[in-house]
Amino acid sequence: MDRNDVLAIIVEKIRIVEPALEGQAIGAEDSMAEIGVDSMSRQEVLILSMEALGLNLPMVQLFGPRNLGELADLLHVKLSG
Amino acid sequence: MIAAGIESLNFYGGSAFIDVHELCMYRGLDMPRFENLLMKEKTVALPYEDPVSFAVNAALPLVTQLSEAERSRIEMVITCTESGIDFGKSLSTYVHGLLGLKPNCRLFEIKQACYSGTAGLQMAINFILSGTSPGAKALVIATDISRFALADANAIEEWAYSEPTSGAGAVAVLVSDTPWLWRIDPGAYGNHAFEVMDTCRPGPDNEAGNADLSLMAYLDCCEHAYRDYARRVEAVDLRSSFDYLCFHTPFGGMVKGAHRQLMRKVVRATPSETEEDFNRRVSPGLSFGQRVGNTAGASVLLALAGTMETADFSQPRRIGMFSYGSGCCSEFFSGVADAGGQQRLHQMALGMALDQRYRLSMEEYEILLRGNEVIRFGTRDARFDHQIVPGAWPALVTGKRLVLDRVDAYHREYRWAE
Repeated sequence: MDRNDVLAIIVEKIRIVEPALEGQAIGAEDSMAEIGVDSMSRQEVLILSMEALGLNLPMVQLFGPRNLGELADLLHVKLSG
Repeated sequence: MIAAGIESLNFYGGSAFIDVHELCMYRGLDMPRFENLLMKEKTVALPYEDPVSFAVNAALPLVTQLSEAERSRIEMVITCTESGIDFGKSLSTYVHGLLGLKPNCRLFEIKQACYSGTAGLQMAINFILSGTSPGAKALVIATDISRFALADANAIEEWAYSEPTSGAGAVAVLVSDTPWLWRIDPGAYGNHAFEVMDTCRPGPDNEAGNADLSLMAYLDCCEHAYRDYARRVEAVDLRSSFDYLCFHTPFGGMVKGAHRQLMRKVVRATPSETEEDFNRRVSPGLSFGQRVGNTAGASVLLALAGTMETADFSQPRRIGMFSYGSGCCSEFFSGVADAGGQQRLHQMALGMALDQRYRLSMEEYEILLRGNEVIRFGTRDARFDHQIVPGAWPALVTGKRLVLDRVDAYHREYRWAE
């Protein structure tokens, strides 16, 4: 699984958590806050993404990424680590 | 082992509030997001109210309903707060004096953000369980107010993300070996703690932090404090061991998210089961928090009060409690309450006291927010304008209410508004 597969999973989970974003393009440069995912829903996306990737990490280890691309990079590193 | 727990509980939710929906409209906040907060009202502390007056107003009814002999057995007063007014002298000293308690008493203050109320409660319960002073009582008061817009011109903007949710309030509990209200399950607890800079109060009048990191730390702690509890307590089952669940409540939506995560991770619950479970076991605990905002150290005890006020106690019920304080430390613990305890709580008429608060207009709220009448930490001398919002003066409601009168050589002087 490469970083773009991870990104695709994150975007899929965003669409599940925020159905209102249907039809709107979501890419690596977007941040969840900016496209209108609220703070609790952001956590939900992280939890669902980790589950899909088979990761079981403390949530606080996912703090820091400024956009979805950086989040995908981080999760990809955790997967390989 | 002797029984220990809460003999009586009272909550003071201030004398003024604003409607959170009105605030969000006024600030131009996104309304769907506001709905997710699950908030209705928030208490606003007046300039002549401080953590001491809140604490005394919460504790006074508990103390006055005791006989002289019972009152003389209050041997410990613990104030729990992140809104301290002095680096050395504890709020407990003021509270002890204003309540007229006996001098043979331990007085101190506990700080660990919103976990402080639980830290204080556990200290008091373990004092009772230790049996070192049989029959003694401990008064624990979690008291917090938020006035973060005071720091400088940018503070209101920085504070915006937490403005709709930060409230004010104090919960007082009398802890003893006659736990009529709520009996702790001794030894049944779990902790999770680690160093993190999620939210903090780095100065007397400001708050800093990151909402995402705070949510993450809260979620991590909720899961792992529960798992530590389950490690200590034989055959515990998240679904069946607890009739109700009370959470530290920064805002209702956060509790909903934490409950959802706990149910999914621990018992693999489906979304529909989780939703039903939230409505049945968790939402009663939000009933008071929704009306006052985040009361920090007091909020998990306020969730207990809300549950006992509104839920079914026709049979004894076990209540699971989760407490979290930024920085961070957390605890999952439990206790049992019954119909007699619920009846005692109903006698405190907590909902009625909230109904009596004065509803501030946005103009009045803005005047208070500018804080010209609020004394800063370390003020040497001050006088207070008790008519800054005439309709909110506490003497207009029934009952005896303490207010700040003046500060002389750093000493805060209070008076009863009767």
